[in-house]
Amino acid sequence: MLRASVIERLAIATASTALALLIGVTIVAAAGYDPVQFITNVIEGALGGRSAIARTLRFSTLFILTGVAVAVAFRAGVFNIGVQGQFVVGGFATIMSIIWTAPLLPEGVVGGVGLLLVGFLAGIFAGGAYGALPGALKAYADANVIITTIMLNFIATGVVGWLVQNPFRGEGNAAPNTERIPEYVSLPGIVFDSSGFSIIGLGIALAAVAVVFVVMERTRFGYDMVTSGHQESAATYSGVGAERTVVLTMTLSGMVAGLAGAVFAIMVQGYYTDPSGIGTYGFDAIAVSLLAANNPLGIVPAGLLFGGLDSAGSHIGIYSDVPVQLIDGVIGLVILFVAVPELFRMAAERTGLGGESR
Amino acid sequence: MTTENEPPAVRMEGITKRFGDVVANDDVDFSLEKGSIHALLGENGSGKTTLMSVLYGLYEKNAGTIHVDGEPETFESPRDAMDAGVGMIHQHFQLVETMTVLQNIILGHEPTDNGFVDTATARTDIEEICSRYDFHVDEFLDTKIQDLDLGARQRVEIVKSLYRGADILILDEPTAVLTPQEIEDLLDLMSELADAGHSLIFITHKLGEALDAADEITVLRDGEAIGTVDAGESSEEELARMMVGREIQFDRPSRDPPRGDSVLEATRLHVRDSRDLEQVSGVDLAVREGEILGIAGVQGNGQTELVEALTGLRDVDSGTVRFHDRDITDTNRRQRIRDGVAYIPEDRTTEGLVQDYTLVRNALLGNQTVEPFVDNGMIDWSAVDDHAEDIIREYDVQPPDKSTDAKSLSGGNQQKFIVGREIEHEPDVMIASHPTRGVDIGSIEFIHDRLLELRESGMAIVVVSSKLDEIQKLSDRIAVMYEGEFIGTVDPAETTEEELGMLMAGHDTCDGDAARENTPDGGVQS
Repeated sequence: MLRASVIERLAIATASTALALLIGVTIVAAAGYDPVQFITNVIEGALGGRSAIARTLRFSTLFILTGVAVAVAFRAGVFNIGVQGQFVVGGFATIMSIIWTAPLLPEGVVGGVGLLLVGFLAGIFAGGAYGALPGALKAYADANVIITTIMLNFIATGVVGWLVQNPFRGEGNAAPNTERIPEYVSLPGIVFDSSGFSIIGLGIALAAVAVVFVVMERTRFGYDMVTSGHQESAATYSGVGAERTVVLTMTLSGMVAGLAGAVFAIMVQGYYTDPSGIGTYGFDAIAVSLLAANNPLGIVPAGLLFGGLDSAGSHIGIYSDVPVQLIDGVIGLVILFVAVPELFRMAAERTGLGGESR
Repeated sequence: MTTENEPPAVRMEGITKRFGDVVANDDVDFSLEKGSIHALLGENGSGKTTLMSVLYGLYEKNAGTIHVDGEPETFESPRDAMDAGVGMIHQHFQLVETMTVLQNIILGHEPTDNGFVDTATARTDIEEICSRYDFHVDEFLDTKIQDLDLGARQRVEIVKSLYRGADILILDEPTAVLTPQEIEDLLDLMSELADAGHSLIFITHKLGEALDAADEITVLRDGEAIGTVDAGESSEEELARMMVGREIQFDRPSRDPPRGDSVLEATRLHVRDSRDLEQVSGVDLAVREGEILGIAGVQGNGQTELVEALTGLRDVDSGTVRFHDRDITDTNRRQRIRDGVAYIPEDRTTEGLVQDYTLVRNALLGNQTVEPFVDNGMIDWSAVDDHAEDIIREYDVQPPDKSTDAKSLSGGNQQKFIVGREIEHEPDVMIASHPTRGVDIGSIEFIHDRLLELRESGMAIVVVSSKLDEIQKLSDRIAVMYEGEFIGTVDPAETTEEELGMLMAGHDTCDGDAARENTPDGGVQS
């Protein structure tokens, strides 16, 4: 485990963000744009007004969920790079299960709640199964998890892309989209009456954080998992089966990723589309998790930071003439400054080339 | 092979190396004649590798002097050692698996031509070295290391040292990972190198190899050099006695013979190691309530695999393990913990404790299925917390602070914590593998007393140790393991060091006590 205290970690994150923004602003200025205006846009985009905050929280919700999915696996020493794929499969399963089940249930509130449950369960199940697959490949065929999960990301994107293009394309849709799910199947807009965000979605994300925290800290399964991640030989000595643990870890991680996919599908989209165009939440989540030192509680502030940055990015993309590539570059700088040092510390500890354990 | 006035290749005098309170080398003298092979023999943790690491510049010595070719030397780093012609081949190969043999050999010593690596020259040089000896490495020069078997990798390591101009070669347990055929080839190669004028130090714990390969043998035990013998005039029995001989005369407490029922039995057990080689070849064993069965033997004769098979950490090839007359051969470790098979592991730092965990978190290790610590899969941390405090108090763990990390404890205190945790399971059978290896004398006494108390309270105990004094003090019966089999079972009160030495070297004493008692299950049928 990385040893920096919570306060230190927050200080590091704040200072890194500030430093990255400073460099970003310098580049923006050098490129001939107004740096003050740029900073103002960043703040406005992240926090300026109700709809900006709703947008920030929408991104944050997804980063928190996918970040927790990554953290679960990393804590157990399993490098699940496949959260994106599990996210896609989960979201697609959510939409299709709702579309297929809708005719069987009454319309209105009762049917809406029922279909939401069906959708979430389908997303969690599909994500879990898609995570269990590389887990089983590791356990029983010794296939490297990093490689299989990356490959499964491509497969998920390709297969779901083809499915929404061909057999499941909604009637009359020009775009490669499924049908919309019924209007009454949506998360209610409490506090923020914004399309694409519901406080319920954020609540689900926070509940997932709490559940994962309790699983890791208070259950035998969590202790076995974290012990495997720390020192596999000691876990084996204590009766933890390495095969079983890697399968269960990947399943749990995939379930959370599938839940993230379900929230995205229901709260943000309402239909499913070609996954190559939906954003790389599952990849950005790796940075979120690293920033939080793979601690589920730390995922919340880390997710909020990343949500704010993405939100600012999409605001600037629309309301300023700064090219979108430059904005992505600045966000990249922040990630580089904030998360990469953690990555190196973790890599150093694991490889024994340095880090704080020596 | 050496003239009177030629200085030895290496002369180490009075070498002392301490790690904290632990003395790894205590006033050791060692001398390597030019053009000879000198075996350094001893059990794990006897200080062989430490001594050689001091020579090679990896560790700084606390006292003593080193001469290489008659010149006083103190190497600050392996680089200095290499410059002086000393090369070390580590037990774990230092090769980059994804690079070719040629690239590995020249790595760090690349010949250059105008700033470019001159592979042509390197190739000629390496081929020259290979043709001088029977290396069979030159045909692999463009093969990646990952595609070679372990024997070939080892030869690459040796060529690498020679390429760097090493006259003196240190081989750290070079045979540990090799098959018997590969071992034979390696020993041939070593004698060829010695004939060509190189001086070799051969670290091993295998008696036969030391006798076959070396000219001289120095035995280390607990960090001290016990003696140096001429390989031509020594025997396995003498070496075994030197390796494990007694240091402190423990009093063997008087005791009543065990009368209880058999608790753990193994029948015709065959077990393979991770390389798929058979390490346990048909062991029968039984241990009763209130009995300590000692398993003696030179390390590497199958004790590790036997213990793993008994504790549920390794699948058996054939044979059965029975616990209270129930077949548990196919149960896993967790099931056996629940049944009451406690285990003090051989390696406390990698298995017995999670180094980064506090003592509280370590108190749960192995207790994940035990109430009240875990109930329905939920951990009761306050119960675990109390448990950690109890262990620390009852087993005198210093410092008495449950929130310290395991890694900051000394070896003796780590071991006391593990012993305490395993005893507090209140198991039916305790399997203790080298329970006092690398532990200070006070902790040794403490752990011995606890094990004898357990025996009194009626527990069945298996102690595996390579320390003869420990085995003799604790055991009711001693089974000696040699090449995967129990070669004899003796009564510790009546046996002699000579007899045990013979057995450990693989000589079945047909007319001695061992043959008479050669029934490892000791009449369990009663």
